[in-house]
Order: sequence, then structure tokens, then C-alpha cells
Amino acid sequence: MKFYRIFSLFLILVAQSTFVNASDDALVIYSGRSDKFVKPVVEAFTQKTGIKVILHSAKSTALLNKLRVEGERTEADLFLSNDAGSLQAGTEQHLFQSIPDELVSVIDPALRARDNSWVGLSARARVLVVNTGKKDVQNIDSVFDLAKPQLKGRIAITNSTNGSFIAGATVYMRASDKYSTQKWLKGLKENAEGQVFNKHSKVVKEVASGKKDIGLINHYYFYRHLEKEPNAPIRLILPDQGDKGMGIAWNVAGIAISKYSKKQEQAKALVSYLISIEGQKMFAEVNREYPTRKDVSAHPDIPPLNSYKTANVPMVDLFTYRSETIELIEKLGMP
Amino acid sequence: MSIPLASTADTELNIIQRLLNNVRQLGSLGFFSVLVVLVAIIPLLFIIQNSLELSTEKWLGLWSARLPGLLWNTLSLATLVALGCFILGVSSAWLIARRDFAGKKLATWLMVLPLAIPTYVFAHIYTIMLDSDGWLGQVWLSLFGDTTAIPDLYNIGGVTLVLSLAGFSYVFLLVKGALLRGNRSLEEAARIQGASPAQVFWRVNLPLLRPAIAASLAMVVLHVLSDFGAVSMLRFQTFTLSIYLQMSGRFDYQAAAGLSLVLVLLSLTFLVMERFFRHRQRYYSNAQSSFIKPQKATFGQQLLIWIWLGLISLFAFILPLAWMINWSWTSWTHALIGEEFWVYVKNSMTVAFLSATLALICAFPVAFYHARKRSLFSNSLFNLSTVGFVIPGPVIALGVITFLTTQLPLLYGGLIALIFALVVRFLPLASQAQEAAMQQLTPSIEQAGRILGAGPIENLRRIVLPMISGGIASAWVLVFIDAMKELPATLILRPTGFDTLPVRIWIEASEEMLELAAPAALMLVVGTLPAIWLMMRSDAKANKQA
Repeated sequence: MKFYRIFSLFLILVAQSTFVNASDDALVIYSGRSDKFVKPVVEAFTQKTGIKVILHSAKSTALLNKLRVEGERTEADLFLSNDAGSLQAGTEQHLFQSIPDELVSVIDPALRARDNSWVGLSARARVLVVNTGKKDVQNIDSVFDLAKPQLKGRIAITNSTNGSFIAGATVYMRASDKYSTQKWLKGLKENAEGQVFNKHSKVVKEVASGKKDIGLINHYYFYRHLEKEPNAPIRLILPDQGDKGMGIAWNVAGIAISKYSKKQEQAKALVSYLISIEGQKMFAEVNREYPTRKDVSAHPDIPPLNSYKTANVPMVDLFTYRSETIELIEKLGMP
Repeated sequence: MSIPLASTADTELNIIQRLLNNVRQLGSLGFFSVLVVLVAIIPLLFIIQNSLELSTEKWLGLWSARLPGLLWNTLSLATLVALGCFILGVSSAWLIARRDFAGKKLATWLMVLPLAIPTYVFAHIYTIMLDSDGWLGQVWLSLFGDTTAIPDLYNIGGVTLVLSLAGFSYVFLLVKGALLRGNRSLEEAARIQGASPAQVFWRVNLPLLRPAIAASLAMVVLHVLSDFGAVSMLRFQTFTLSIYLQMSGRFDYQAAAGLSLVLVLLSLTFLVMERFFRHRQRYYSNAQSSFIKPQKATFGQQLLIWIWLGLISLFAFILPLAWMINWSWTSWTHALIGEEFWVYVKNSMTVAFLSATLALICAFPVAFYHARKRSLFSNSLFNLSTVGFVIPGPVIALGVITFLTTQLPLLYGGLIALIFALVVRFLPLASQAQEAAMQQLTPSIEQAGRILGAGPIENLRRIVLPMISGGIASAWVLVFIDAMKELPATLILRPTGFDTLPVRIWIEASEEMLELAAPAALMLVVGTLPAIWLMMRSDAKANKQA
């Protein structure tokens, strides 16, 4: 009878799906970083060590929530995120375990957790992009200038729920002070005139097309655009330099080992591969980011590390002061 | 007169006795529906537990700072979308049910097909098409020039547009069904009394259609209240988005739970009100109602009908489909569709199939008990079983993980958590649709079966199930389609390394890999086609019988 045939098919499906468990012999990474940037380096790792890796991708914060409620039942061995704030949030919730010092000592202490519960793998800079045809924005040298009244209607920024935007504002708040940051955000809101963009790539596009004159972005979006349109009339500005400048805001992508990982040795092997010279180069270069290891040089296209000054704000602050930034943003009603 | 006060011991005994009696009266049907509802409210318990940790001070803070704005946004959006779906759904249903024109079957399909497109895909496609170099943006620029800015969707109008296009098909389906089954004699009587066609529509048809309209709009409103895809993509602050931002931006789970609780209460109030008003207006159709023959449309009328229906389906289906095909073609020619793509298709179908079937089985006792008993208790059970639908996906997901890992750790891992969440979430769709079918079942037929010696199981299998098979099929399809499209809970609950089509769409779209998001979206549409076909077939059968 038809009914029974359908029913038995159903039972087979149930039985099969109950035992979907691909992760028995593979490392599981909860990854908040784009698949295509992680895959090459992970595949190289597998080839080298024979350890299989499963990428479980979603938004960093969602994965962190998952890790938290799963507790010791989690299948995740590692947590990978594009945002130091999310990584530190995991640390504060005791979801990670410390990575031995000798493994991560090559990485600048400002770019990892105080207890080594996470370690930065690649860094990105908040920079300005300007349209080369617009004369009066060529000399802008601080992100705070974006709030000046003469740029009304001429700036392109992402919406204020964007993680990089929040992280950037947090750094500015720590490097300068709360009052100036509040004033800055208010100016940005006015200058944006209600039009903000969903994506950084859109911000660059607006500037390249001349609809907007200046934009605030992570540096690699600039190169991504040039890759598609090599002759785009855009230029990169490294803001807030010089003696008085606070320096450029950085944020890192990093990795942590789950507290309840049952494959700690393999997990540590992956971390040490990502920190190795080979791993660092591959991890950062696919997205033209900066390797966090100083003895590995960045992609030749991007401004060399020692050519500019970065804001002196430890990455853990991106978590500690995150709520404060969000409160500022929400109080102002930023779009 | 004074009532003698019973001693406390006495009353306690009474209460226990009454409880025991109640349990006995419950019967196996009631027992099972209580069981299902207990499982369905697990995420609600999680919310309550978390929001209990919220201090009074924080509650007050939420109350004054967030709730007024959120309530206003959410309610006005729900009203506008309901209005939009009403206009699109009722007009198209009326034309198709009451007029005979060329290509009617095609038109029916075109009105139902938008169901296959998730709201986040709608939002995504429309924001891209409205870019200055997008299809619609180009059209706009060539029509109005550079001086008028292209309208964008990041406001209540845009969200309303997206959600109306994605939801009007529910109204279309239910209203069309009601129109086909409706009674012609009342209309004729009104015409004989000298009413104009417009008057007949407003004063006879519309009141008669009210139950169908109310039920379908209720479904639309529930979809709006629970929508996450469109509002998050278009950044319109409703409850779901705000809850999500509380959890992801600030890691403030208590505030998220508090807001979820308010949302659940809001939707329950809405449901109870809707049922209350529907109860007061029941229309019974005569057994010998004359069969309705649709009017033949003249050529001019046909043209007008097709302009209107064509316009609706252009925006609700054809344009999005064309966009998907265009980009899918690009990625196909660039050989970007690998073997793993078919795994995503298989995963999606498996999950949707399992959750639809399980939801149907679980909803059956709840719906049947409610249809038979009609007591305050059965009503409350029925309403409680709907809470899953309005709890935001991310919150349900966390609730399910918490429950499974602490109470049933052996079941955690694999697909169980995901299926569990989807069943809880879509239970109301299944029970509403089944209950509607059961209402048409006369108890006397069942009693006849029992008299002739059939046991309750045999009765169920040989009489009840065959008679409501149409309702069951459409319930299954509704859940299947929604489960295919579900994103927020799936994103969190899928087993490690298990990607479905919506998950891929999300991943590629967030990386702006348009040419990779498009094939997954297209496959989603193709994957839901058999389900829609099944629904149309049982729909056609039901209408033939009526």
C-alpha cells in the first residue's frame, strides 16, 4: 500500500538522520569568518597533517551563543571569529581554554587575550577612501573630520549595527574620549542624511562612482574594489597619523580553543599551524589582511605595517567597552 | 441568601477529585494533545526562566526605552502588511474564482508561487535591483533621470512591500476556496432586490468571506510578527530584530528573553481576539447551494484582468525568478556549482520532509481535540500550541539546545534538535489547517462508523483520515514550504557541517557572492514546486467535490 511505503521511507529518513555525525574524527570549527577565506588554509593544514576539519559557518555571535548554551555537550573544538569583541566575549563567559604561552608568544600581546584564551591571526585597519576627483577631501587626515559640517551629504558609512563600525567607534572612544566620540557620531548621523549602507563594498562603490566623496571602511574593501575595477578613481587615506594623531583603529580575526574540546592536541596543532609563517601568510593574504606575526610580511599591495601608527588600544577593549558604544549609538538613534 | 463556606480540607479534596475527573474525561485524545502542548511550550519556558532573571529596574528600563517604539513599529507594520495582502489577495482571488478567462490555470499558479520565495531573498533581490546599476534602478533612472533619488526599501514602506509580496498568497488561497464554495443564492437575492454589483460585493460577499479573510490575515500577521529575514536585511526595528540585536550585540540574554515574552503575549492576545471575533460570526452554507459558475469575461475585461494579475506576479514572482535565473546562469557558466550543491538540496528536502510530517502527526491530536471538544481547556491548549510560531528563531534555537543538553543529553547531536525546533515552530500551521478541515466533519458519520463496529483506530483510519485528507495535504505542504525556507533557527541548530539551501544563501549573500546565492535560491523555488503542485491538486479536488 502506498501509505506504508511512504511511512517506511519516512522511518528510514528518521533513522538515517539521527545518526548524522560527521565529526567523529574531524576537528570542528565554529567559524564566523567567510568560508572562502578560511578554506584554503584549512585544506593546506589537512594535507599536511591528515587531520580533517569541518567548517561550521554562521555569524560569530550566533555561534558564540550556541557554544554557551551547549556547554560541555558542544561538538566545537575551535571558535573562529572576525571580531576581537566576540572572541573576548567568549573569554568572559569562560568558553575557551588558555593556549600554552610558548605556542602564541610570537604574537604581539595586544593582539591576544590576557590569558591566551584567544589569539589574533590577522588584522585589518579602519581607513578612509576618497574619490580622487573631489579636490577638497584629498587633505582630510582624521576620521573625526567626517563629522565636519562641510561634508554634509557627502560621506558614505555602513549602518551602525555593523560589527566593524561598532569596533571602530569603540577604539576611537578609548583612544580619545567619550565626549568627542559622541560628538563625532552625532556629526556622522547628520552628514549621512539618513542614507547609510549595508555593506562596506557598497560604501566603496558609492565613492568610486562619485555619488559620495569619502567613505569609512576596512582597508581590504578598497583592494577588493580595485581588483574588479582597476581604474576606479579612488585613493586610500591612512587617517590620524603624526604626533598628535591617535592612530588607526585595528581589529583582529582570531581563534580560540573550546573549553570542552575532546581533541585538544589536534586543535593545538591547527592553532600552531595558523601561527606558523606559512599559515600566517596564507590566512592573511587571501583577504589582504595583516598577519599578526611581525616577522611575516603583509601582501605587497597594502601599506606596510611599519609605515603608519595604530591606535594604542588593546583588543580586549573591543569587548569591554562595546556596550558603552552601542548605548551611545542607540541614544543618538543612528541609522 | 448566604452560601455555606466549605472547610479548606473539603475544598482541597474537591479540587483533587475534580482534577482526577478531568483527567479521566480528557481521554486519550486529550492526553496526547496535552503532551504535545507541553513539548511545544518548552521554548516558552526557557524564555520565562531567562526573563525572571531580569531585575525590575531593567524591566522598567526596557519598558520606557524600547517597548513603545517597538510596539508601534511592529503593530503598524502588521497592519500595513495585512492591508497589502488583503488588497492583493482578495482581488486576485475574486478575479480567478468569479471570472472565466484564458490562462486561468497559469494565473492560479502565479498567485501561489511567491510562497516559494523566502522573505530574506525578496529583500535581498529587491535591494540589489533598486541599486543604481540594478534592473529596477536602471528603469527608474531612464524614466525620471538622475534628479529623483531611487526609492530605497529601508523604511516601513519597503518592508511592507516585501512582506506583502511574500505573504498575499495565503489570503489568495483561503479566499479563493471560500469563494468557490460560497453560496450564489444570497448574491442573486441581493441583485434581485436592486443592489449594484459593487454593493453586493461589499455587503454580501465580503461579510460572507470574513472567516476566510480573518483566518488568512491571521496567518499573515503571525508571519509578520515572526519575520526575521526581511526586517533584519532592511533594518526595520521590530521585536524580532531588536531581540536578535540584544543577543548578538550586547550578549544581553535576559533583555532578549524579556522582549520575547512581550512578543509572545502580544501574539497570543491577537490570536485570542481573532478567534473570538471569528466565533461570533459563523456562516453555515445551505446543503443545496447552487453551484457557482464563473462569469465569462469579455476581451476587454480579460485584458484588464491580466494586466492586474500580471503586475502582481511580475513583482511577486517573475522578476525575482528572472534575477535568480540570470545569476544562476552566470555561476553555472563559471562552473561555480559543485557537487556539494546537491548535498545542500538533499539536506533541505530531508529537513523539510521530516519536520512537515512530524508536525502533522503532532498537530493531529491538538486539532482533533479542539474540533471535538470546544471547551475553554481545549481552546487554551490550541492557542498555547501556537506560541512556537512567534518566538523568534534564534530564541527557540537556544531554548531547544538548553532543554536537550540539560534534560535529554543523549538526544543532542544530529538532526534531532533542528527537527524538534522546526516542529515546535510550525506546529500551529499544521494544527490550524487540520482543524479547519475537521470542522467540516460531521460527528454523526463517525458515530455511524462506531455503530457498525469499527474501533476508534479503524474509525480514524477508514473514516476520519480519508475525509480530511485534503486538509492534511495542505497542512503538510504549508509546513514543508515554511520549513524549506526557515533560516534563523536552522542556522544555529543544524548539525555541524550540515548546510541547507537557506544557510548557503545566507552565507553567500553575506559575502556578496551574488552568483553563488542565486542558484541556492533558485533551487529552493524548484524544491518547493512539487509541494505546491500537491497543494493545488488537492485544492482542485476539494473544489470539485463542493
